[in-house]
Amino acid sequence: MAFDAKWEDYQRMSLRFAWSLNGTGLLAAAHAFAGFGRRYAQERDSLPQTDADRAFHLVAEATELIDYQLPFATDEEAETIISRGHQMLEEAISLDPQCHDAIRMDEAARCPSFESYYNFLLEHEPEVRARCAEARAATQDDDSPERAEMAAQLAMWPHLRWLAMLSSKALICGRNREALRFCNDLLTLDPSDVADARYTAALAYAKLEDEQGLDQLEARCRMLPHAQAGNDAWTLIARLALAHRRRDLPRARQFIAKIIEAYPQALVLLARQRELPDGVFARLAVPPFSEDELVIAMSEATVLTQEGRDSLGRGALGSWLLQECLSRATRKELDELRDTIEGMNAPFGPNGLKPEGGPR
Amino acid sequence: MNARAELIERVALHRRAQLGTLSDAGYQELLAAVRENVENFVDTAEDEAFLLVTKAVERQTAARDGEDLLDDEAFFESRSRRMSRLVLDCEKALSVDPDCLDAQLLHALAMDQDPDPTLGPLLEVEQRADKRLEHAVLLADAWNDVLLRPVLRIKAAVSRACLDSARYRMAAQKAEECITLSALDALGLRHTGFLAYARLEDEGAFDALDVRFSRQASAWSLLAHAILLYKLGRMPAARRAICGYSRLCEGGAYALIKPIMVDTYLPDRPEAPTLSFAEATLAVHEADPVICDVPDFVSWAQSQRDVWFSGQDYARRQGYDW
Repeated sequence: MAFDAKWEDYQRMSLRFAWSLNGTGLLAAAHAFAGFGRRYAQERDSLPQTDADRAFHLVAEATELIDYQLPFATDEEAETIISRGHQMLEEAISLDPQCHDAIRMDEAARCPSFESYYNFLLEHEPEVRARCAEARAATQDDDSPERAEMAAQLAMWPHLRWLAMLSSKALICGRNREALRFCNDLLTLDPSDVADARYTAALAYAKLEDEQGLDQLEARCRMLPHAQAGNDAWTLIARLALAHRRRDLPRARQFIAKIIEAYPQALVLLARQRELPDGVFARLAVPPFSEDELVIAMSEATVLTQEGRDSLGRGALGSWLLQECLSRATRKELDELRDTIEGMNAPFGPNGLKPEGGPR
Repeated sequence: MNARAELIERVALHRRAQLGTLSDAGYQELLAAVRENVENFVDTAEDEAFLLVTKAVERQTAARDGEDLLDDEAFFESRSRRMSRLVLDCEKALSVDPDCLDAQLLHALAMDQDPDPTLGPLLEVEQRADKRLEHAVLLADAWNDVLLRPVLRIKAAVSRACLDSARYRMAAQKAEECITLSALDALGLRHTGFLAYARLEDEGAFDALDVRFSRQASAWSLLAHAILLYKLGRMPAARRAICGYSRLCEGGAYALIKPIMVDTYLPDRPEAPTLSFAEATLAVHEADPVICDVPDFVSWAQSQRDVWFSGQDYARRQGYDW
């Protein structure tokens, strides 16, 4: 599912518009709504909106820039994108000092380390939780249960994103039990798991080598309409890592095969193990079982692949996976992997020994 | 590994078995004679292979002397030469006695592959060692049977290779298995266990292991405990733990902030006095994969005033760079 800032912006505006039509006759309302899409796209400012709506719109624009355009930008473009993105976020905060998404995204660039960003998120989480709960309680009464439900969700989502970011940063900081605590919190607050917390949780269970925990997570999430029945990239990679950690290599190979079966271009992506910057708004919204989804999952899974001493600097699982993929690659895939293969000169000494100065 | 001491004991035991009944005093005399010139008493293929292993280990130790002063390139060249020599030495020992477990172990290590590909051959050696175990009459503590020490050494090497190849559950299991065989834990499997449990954030298992060894502090237990608390997000406790480590462990703060390279153990961890700088150096080296997984741990540790000043003070006293 994932969070899509543009879609959410549209939902907020349409909800606001619908509320503005309360008291209007049914026919007039239907007529007015027919023009909503065009006005949203072309004359956004003519639509009824609050400062909070304007702030969220800026968040959506900044997300488009930072999360979706920045990764493909040249160095020169990157600077412009970053400064424009942050201008937007600052403007959003000045419009709505309670715009938790903007505050969170703005802070991501200011924090010098994973640890300091993690601490920031951790420290303010109770406050964000309370504010979002208040906002939810204050949502307008609505005749339509669907609209009331949507309004309640939109009020809570900034908190869910805050928690999701906290859990993913906990994982990166090596705090796996904390990561699971936040994921469980998310799954309790939102059993439909719009934040896809179960993906982060799957990686954390693999980090703790807790196969039973992963099984229980899978069972808990099995009924979700978008759950992909444990065949999503994150769960498959987690199971692959667990098998490798038990040194059950035949089983690990079965999971490689499953991933290759489920995702396009999988062999190349499994070999390349590219690390991308995480989405600052939320995990990027991409279609299920797409190549992009596997790219994102592999990037998040570097906490698993890069562990252990290893002369290639890819980690124990990372190097093994690369070798496995190369042994299965077709000529065309080998061609695509030329850069990866050429980059395979060992940066470390034999046995993964890091030469370091100082007295031995 | 004190190979020569083990060689003497093995040879004396074999000779006693050949002689039939021998009083304790008689055995002491025999032992003294063997100690005088052990090679004269070597008359089985098993002991001859072990003699070759002893010489190979001693040759390694001698060849390492002076390597400290080499630059990186010269060091890795010298290292590669002695590793190749060790492979040949092990092959020679195995041609005399193909069942020589220590030669098998050293051979697997001397192939000098990354920990992940090393683990396969090590596990094969472990399977053969387990067969030896099946046929042995177990003493209360396996370490007291000199013929079973190779089995323990192999399990220790497997446990460390598991830790180095990011298999923490398996590393801990192997360590526990070994401690069950020998509660003396002369090879310090508990240290690998502490690091594995810290990485797995398994406080219960960490604590049980610590209690089992009467909470005797070591560089590993103190450092691993600080990592564990940090990972669990219990920051005041983690702060006290890392300050405790740097206070109790001579040069511990320096070893953590300025890590130095420690070469592959051949076949086991070098000896170091408890809570000495040498021990801290080994502990930090072994903890490296676990520390890498907590990317801001070292910068957090050195931001603790006590840790920073302790490291600086040690550097000044030793004349090291800071």
